Amino acid sequence: MRTNRVTLLLVVVLATSTIAGAQAGKAPAGQTLNATSLSATADVLLNDPALWGQVSAHRISLNRTPPLYDTDEPASLEIPVLEVRVARAGGKVLVQMSWADPTHDSAALPEVPNTPPETRFRKLPTEADDRFFDAAAVMFPTKPGAVTPSLQMGDTDDPVQIYYWNAARGPMLMEAAGRGTTRRTGASFAAHAANEKGRWTVAIELPDLPAGTPLAFAIWNGSQKDRDGRKYFSVWQVLQ
Amino acid sequence: MSKHQYAMVMDLNKCLGCQTCTIACKKLWTDRDGTGYMYWNNVETRPGMGYPRQWDRIGGGWKNGQLQPSPLPTMDDYGHAWEFNYEQRLYEGKKKPVMPSPTPTSGVNWDEDVGGMNGEENYYFYLPRICNHCTYPACLEACPRKAIYKRDEDGIVVLDQERCQGYRYCIKACPYKKIYYNEVTGKSEKCIFCYPRLEKGEVNACAAQCPGRLRFVGLLDDPESPVHKLVLVHRAALPLFPEKGTQPNVFYVPPFNPPKRGSYDKSILEDPRLPLDYLIYLFGPEVRDVITRLEAELKSAQRGGRSELLQLLIGRDAETRYRIKPELVQIKL
Ligand code: SF4
Ligand code: SF4
Repeated sequence: MRTNRVTLLLVVVLATSTIAGAQAGKAPAGQTLNATSLSATADVLLNDPALWGQVSAHRISLNRTPPLYDTDEPASLEIPVLEVRVARAGGKVLVQMSWADPTHDSAALPEVPNTPPETRFRKLPTEADDRFFDAAAVMFPTKPGAVTPSLQMGDTDDPVQIYYWNAARGPMLMEAAGRGTTRRTGASFAAHAANEKGRWTVAIELPDLPAGTPLAFAIWNGSQKDRDGRKYFSVWQVLQ
Repeated sequence: MSKHQYAMVMDLNKCLGCQTCTIACKKLWTDRDGTGYMYWNNVETRPGMGYPRQWDRIGGGWKNGQLQPSPLPTMDDYGHAWEFNYEQRLYEGKKKPVMPSPTPTSGVNWDEDVGGMNGEENYYFYLPRICNHCTYPACLEACPRKAIYKRDEDGIVVLDQERCQGYRYCIKACPYKKIYYNEVTGKSEKCIFCYPRLEKGEVNACAAQCPGRLRFVGLLDDPESPVHKLVLVHRAALPLFPEKGTQPNVFYVPPFNPPKRGSYDKSILEDPRLPLDYLIYLFGPEVRDVITRLEAELKSAQRGGRSELLQLLIGRDAETRYRIKPELVQIKL
């Protein structure tokens, strides 16, 4: 059991150095994501894919986290690129993420009735225990003007906000202050998602973030059993 | 390791396969949304497929200090829920036979009483299963959220519904497949060893309801408890699949049926009704010694001697079978 802890630690150290390597590597670590200012309201922009045509796309390369746990097999890089568009509208920052994913891992989960289960003859079933859903997230530091936090869900001194969207469960606002500390806040946010011809397009509404805010992106591919730190991630980008 | 450890011993010679324990547990804990297929307690016929199907062969547990890989069981392995067409038959007057749909292909207790053949004789026995509240829980180690913990005061392994994010690494890691995923809540769930009952001095619901009176409960480290006596003093009970490395705290008195037909005066191991290989598969090689010990006790009782072990195993009253003393495990604040 001790060996296992050591292995895990080693993997984490390796992962960290890979990420550090990527940041210090030849290509610039992240890109500057220029936000296009639009006159439409945030609400309209969020729900109208046509309006996004006016916003230029940034192609951001994705990495896979190294295998983290003994229980799961390694996964390959099937989604190398994420297209990101950023706009400012109605005092909000809006981000549209778009990526090719031939496997559409989603489901319409039944709505839980608000009557107590003991008063109902029929309870909702668990339809499947082994499926994972596609998801996407944007992460940024909680404190404005903070130094760039660790890519691994921030640090104790530099917590992060995670705007997480799940194909079956919808948007959930999360926060974290280091690896393994991510938690749902219970709050939600506005989001719009579409899946067409093997491509996801997910637009989400962020608060009014100042220029210079670091943004990092993550994608989960359900059919690759992605969840938790088993995912695709980008290095930090900078909002302008 | 926890300060104390609750444990359960089940005497497989007494199980009727009545599923009263299964229903007691289900009514108490898993009669909620998303829990239909969950059986924190299930009773399976052995030899047989078990629940989920082939759980004993798909992986998990420890080897050389490493968690072992395992796929997640699928709904095909648990069996899909089916409905009967009562509406058509009873209300719409259709003269159709009452049929389940979709056509069942697997389910809990699917192969009840099928068993196996030993020569020309059929054999089987029942194996009731709950979470083993292991000393080295693979589930706990696998969870990156630290949502699973082992209670320091009594060794019960619980899964914190607040911390759980539904990642299911625990289900893969558990070699007994005793954690279930609730897709409605998006979180995993497991047997809690009825800790709210124990804290009030009441025994676990599965044990309380068991008409076979085959379950013994107490602290393994309490010399007065029946589980301590059965496991550590008489050495009459063994964990299931000890080689999976988690060190279970549920123990079984192995079935020691009389020898086969026509072998009346032979010893149990000379012409066993239950193939010894199968018992070794389940309980490890030590099962041979345990059966030999049990048989010796039986023989001596048959000659008119008094066997403390057999008296204990008969377990006439609750005081013999359980020793639940909340004050023994209280944490001093
Ligand atoms: S039986 Fe499985 S779920 Fe229960 S403690 Fe052991 S490893 Fe965990
Ligand atoms: S209630 Fe007792 S006798 Fe009946 S199946 Fe469960 S363990 Fe066996």
